[in-house]
Amino acid sequence: MKKEKQNSDTQQTSLPVPSSQGMTIVVKTVSSWLKVLIFLFGIYIILSGDLGPGGGFAGGVILALSYVLLMLAFGREFAEKNLPRTLAARLYYCGALTFAIIAILGIPFGGAFLSNFLIGKFGEPLTILGGGTLPLSNIAIAFNVGASLYLVILSLSVCCKGKECKFE
Amino acid sequence: MLYALCFLLFVIGLYCTVVKKNLVKIVLGIVIMEYSVDLFLIMLGYRFGGVAPVVDRTMFDQQTGKIAAGFLNSSVDPLPQALVLTSIVVGLGSLALMISLCIRIYAKYGTFDVTQIRRLKG
Repeated sequence: MKKEKQNSDTQQTSLPVPSSQGMTIVVKTVSSWLKVLIFLFGIYIILSGDLGPGGGFAGGVILALSYVLLMLAFGREFAEKNLPRTLAARLYYCGALTFAIIAILGIPFGGAFLSNFLIGKFGEPLTILGGGTLPLSNIAIAFNVGASLYLVILSLSVCCKGKECKFE
Repeated sequence: MLYALCFLLFVIGLYCTVVKKNLVKIVLGIVIMEYSVDLFLIMLGYRFGGVAPVVDRTMFDQQTGKIAAGFLNSSVDPLPQALVLTSIVVGLGSLALMISLCIRIYAKYGTFDVTQIRRLKG
């Protein structure tokens, strides 16, 4: 009876332990290969925004999802050391600022707000290099959406049962 | 007929919001209503037997800068799709806000049951 009680006290529960422990070594190994592929897929969807479906919104969400995989497999502290909150906040507002600057630069160079004044300058139209301001604004929106979604999920994962919702 | 199915999805979301007593199920009802409206907006711009609104190099005439007429006659309207993409991301933001409110309510009251969350607790 005593041995059973000691075993059940030190036994690990089957529920996912929040934030610092992460998962087993099989999950850690596979997810460390997989997050790079998800990140690359997100970059592909961002850059092919004017040639096909995709663009800044969907690509930014996929970029944030690679960090969510990191957070689930390795624990929240590891993901926070990898991309700190201050750096994510800087990416967030630099993306929005870049999009605003690209939009305002359309007025003196193109004649209207958000006009595409670089189209056809560096290559043929309907390729990546000849798209003009479209890939640049896609990249800016992807920084914005990806960083904000990462910050939202990081902030929501602080709250555990029985503890107060606070960053340590 | 298809628009009636979208309306049916909206009514299912409305039923979840009004009748259910668990707070998370109410949030799910609100999200279902948002997505049914997005689906309805996309279906307004659809054309039966149409192609995706993506322009290739082959359809683009370099000299005159015009797109082939066959593509214009058979493509699906891309404007509702662009607006609905923005709407989905806005719905994601509002869902994050609702989930954080649920977490704070559970921390204060200890339950998700709407009938037991009655008085204000500081």
